[in-house]
Amino acid sequence: MIRLAPQPMDTVDDMRHALQKAIELELSTLPPYLYAVFSIEEGANEAARSRIGAIVLEEMTHMALACNILNAIGGRPVLAQASVVPAYPGPLPYDIGGDDGEPFLVSLLPFSKKAMAQAIHIEEPEDPIKFSAGLELAPTFQTIGEFYAALDKALGTLPPEVWAAPAGSQVTDHPFFAGDLFPVVDYASASTAISRIVSEGEGTTKSPLDFEGDLAHYYRFEEIRRDRVLQKDAGKPEGFSWGPPLGVDWDGVLPVIKDPAEHDFAGDPAAQAAQDECDRAFTVLLQELERAVTGEPGRMGNAVRAMFDLRMAARVAVRTPLKGSKKSAGPAFRFRPELV
Amino acid sequence: MSVLDTPRVYFRGQMTWDPIVTNNYQAFYNLATSKPVLGTGTVADYREKARQSVTRGNWNPHGTHRSTFFETTVCGVDCGGGLRTDDALVGVPVSFTGMLVDLNPYGATTSQLFFDHVSCGIQGGSRLLARRATSMVARRLNFARNTGYTVIAGVASVVWQTSFPFPDSLSIDPHGSDVLEALARALADDDTVGLTLRMNTYRTAYFGTDAPTAQDSAELAAQIAQGGFHPNPARSMVVGVIGPWRRGEPPSVPADRVLAATENSPISTAFAKVGGGRLTVDLGNSVPETGFDLTKLDVGPLQVVATAAGGDVALGTIPYSAYDASAYAATSGLVDLDLDDAQAAAALDADVEIRDGQGVALLSEQPLTVVADTPNLYLEEGESTTVALRTFERGRTPSSPVSVTMAEIGGPLPPVQVVTGADGTVAVPVQGGRSGSWAWVLVPWRGEPPPPPAGLVPTLNEYLVLRTTPLDAHIARMEPTWANVYEQVLRDWEALAPCMDNWLRLGDEDQVVRHASLVRQLTSRDRFEDFRYMPVTRELTKGQRTLLHRWCDAVLGAPTPESLTAAEVASEQGAFGRGF
Repeated sequence: MIRLAPQPMDTVDDMRHALQKAIELELSTLPPYLYAVFSIEEGANEAARSRIGAIVLEEMTHMALACNILNAIGGRPVLAQASVVPAYPGPLPYDIGGDDGEPFLVSLLPFSKKAMAQAIHIEEPEDPIKFSAGLELAPTFQTIGEFYAALDKALGTLPPEVWAAPAGSQVTDHPFFAGDLFPVVDYASASTAISRIVSEGEGTTKSPLDFEGDLAHYYRFEEIRRDRVLQKDAGKPEGFSWGPPLGVDWDGVLPVIKDPAEHDFAGDPAAQAAQDECDRAFTVLLQELERAVTGEPGRMGNAVRAMFDLRMAARVAVRTPLKGSKKSAGPAFRFRPELV
Repeated sequence: MSVLDTPRVYFRGQMTWDPIVTNNYQAFYNLATSKPVLGTGTVADYREKARQSVTRGNWNPHGTHRSTFFETTVCGVDCGGGLRTDDALVGVPVSFTGMLVDLNPYGATTSQLFFDHVSCGIQGGSRLLARRATSMVARRLNFARNTGYTVIAGVASVVWQTSFPFPDSLSIDPHGSDVLEALARALADDDTVGLTLRMNTYRTAYFGTDAPTAQDSAELAAQIAQGGFHPNPARSMVVGVIGPWRRGEPPSVPADRVLAATENSPISTAFAKVGGGRLTVDLGNSVPETGFDLTKLDVGPLQVVATAAGGDVALGTIPYSAYDASAYAATSGLVDLDLDDAQAAAALDADVEIRDGQGVALLSEQPLTVVADTPNLYLEEGESTTVALRTFERGRTPSSPVSVTMAEIGGPLPPVQVVTGADGTVAVPVQGGRSGSWAWVLVPWRGEPPPPPAGLVPTLNEYLVLRTTPLDAHIARMEPTWANVYEQVLRDWEALAPCMDNWLRLGDEDQVVRHASLVRQLTSRDRFEDFRYMPVTRELTKGQRTLLHRWCDAVLGAPTPESLTAAEVASEQGAFGRGF
């Protein structure tokens, strides 16, 4: 479970700062999840791929909802600055750490049990439901769920005049993410957005299902790691148990190195070019996203195109052998505006 | 059994529609050649013209054809005792993503949804997983569905249907769901061959608003001009029902009793079925809404009668509360009336009629009906096949053979008449003939032949549509070079489908080479029904496919020579005529 020190939520500026960090936190989850997906061999691990892919899409909507809340209280989301883009390996925003208070370092890992364990650690709720072999709880510091709960409570204290989103500052569910995004115009809509973010990520304390009747992220990653389907089980007090195999093939993975930013690509022009193209597309993605959430909603289409460009660049990168090696490197997700 | 029998699963929610509509216009697309009209221009020129046409009605040049349920859940079940909302399946998500493709892109009545599966629920929970056997087909289009909201095609509603054979296409995990257990039991019945899904889509909104303006079109055109990917999906409401598929029923179109709208009726055609001591009326496509807010038109209590020879037999009354917006959303427009034995007997053997409070008939039964097993048909030039027509008499096998007139819509060919066998079916040979698209209204009759229909009225008529793609033998014979493959095949898709830039830049030889294996797989004709078939519009000609596959094989180093037969080459010279 990841934890952070309790954050001040006394002023509007505190809340804006917290929301910016929430945006960075949602953003920081995307590269490790995408790295794992990109490393899966064509045609392999479809169940795992679709589960992680769905989680990625939900994390994107969580980030957009956090942007909507920030805009609604007069803030301005920042996505396209080196200072807000996480590096891998590196800490999560707020130096989020484990129960021991040490920063938790996130790596870019190919699809593996270790990668799933890392994702489970990121998504773990305060009190996960124990099925046959539950995970331990050590209640110190503040969980992500508690952070959002504190934010929700603080937002509820704001006077109505603070809720004044500038025209065009809200990302809606047209033309992308139908049903998953909505404008935040007041505390009620902000609170709904926060509940959605938390329930999709962690589930509830009584059920692994999120508000749509789907498994929360934490439990979907756990299914993959265990290679077991979490199934309804009326014979268990919690109503679920670990069922048949999900169909994970830990060998159905391309030979991709971990943390490509730590690799020296000097003297390897093909791999370097592949990395540059990934970084360029990622940079454009962040630049366009920032424009889309700061008054130019029409730029969301440019961000989505950049997302597809990143996907294609990553497909090339993970299939470009490193010089003198049978391994390859996935995208490092670096913000490099000099390439654009 | 049918979806009008029990057990049933009701669902409701919303659905996006994201077709490219550039090919709806003759200036952009040639139906006869199955190719975009590029002339001497470049792909960039074509795309720019398409962009400029946004303000003239082309509302989605960046479409992807994807159509996806969202906020769609199981909202109720009926195991035979009426609506229940306490079943374990209630509340689970219903997931569907298909590709919306018009067989004839110029027309409004030939839409299909190509998809791979539909599911209610998630793995590990109460779940029904249905894998596609046949694509979903649009029928009974009702262009009077909404009296107060008429934006683009927002006024219209559509009946969609598909069926899933058991056991090949169905997985059922009850996990405590009574209705799933009941469906599993029903599938053990020899008369049940699988499950049918029927849904109704209605009140389509465009540009993400209930009241799009010229400014919305201008903004979309401007967004496209500044680069990126700018689809403009519409969205509809959807209600649906899943129930047993009876042996002898066609998979893709309803074969229940048809209660047809009378002239000037404020409500549209409905379906009906008698069984299990009740009459079920499917008003899913019938009662109009009066505006964007989905309020249902109140036409007062509806009197349901069987017009028996000895006099009318009252079957029941449907009050407004049974067909208003909340009732419609709860049971997808299905209304059940309990019948006593005398009523059931009368309803089985006499025509059913629905009247308003003054006794005026609003819906009258068409006792003879006909449907095609394959209502939307694709052929290649010169190819031929057989289509089964099934006739019904008040929803059952006819008591004696039925004649069927097949009248071409808007074409010069004289009507063709066929007669069914004792089982009510007849196999009709169909030739692809020249490239293009044709449609035939199907009119069942006994006795004196009726006059040919003046045209197609989708709410009243069943019909068969045919799309024939050209052979393009000259393209098949070309050298399999990148230049030829691009110019003759890929450039067409690149021009018409800017969305392809997301997945594969068709003008980028390096990218296409990298994906040659996938391209070859997804363009194979045996993948035609697949969600991911390429091109999504199903207009790849045999000559184009041959050239493309020869090139792919050369790139992949696995030559598998393909060539057209002499007969196929000869057929391109126009030796065949379309028809039967």
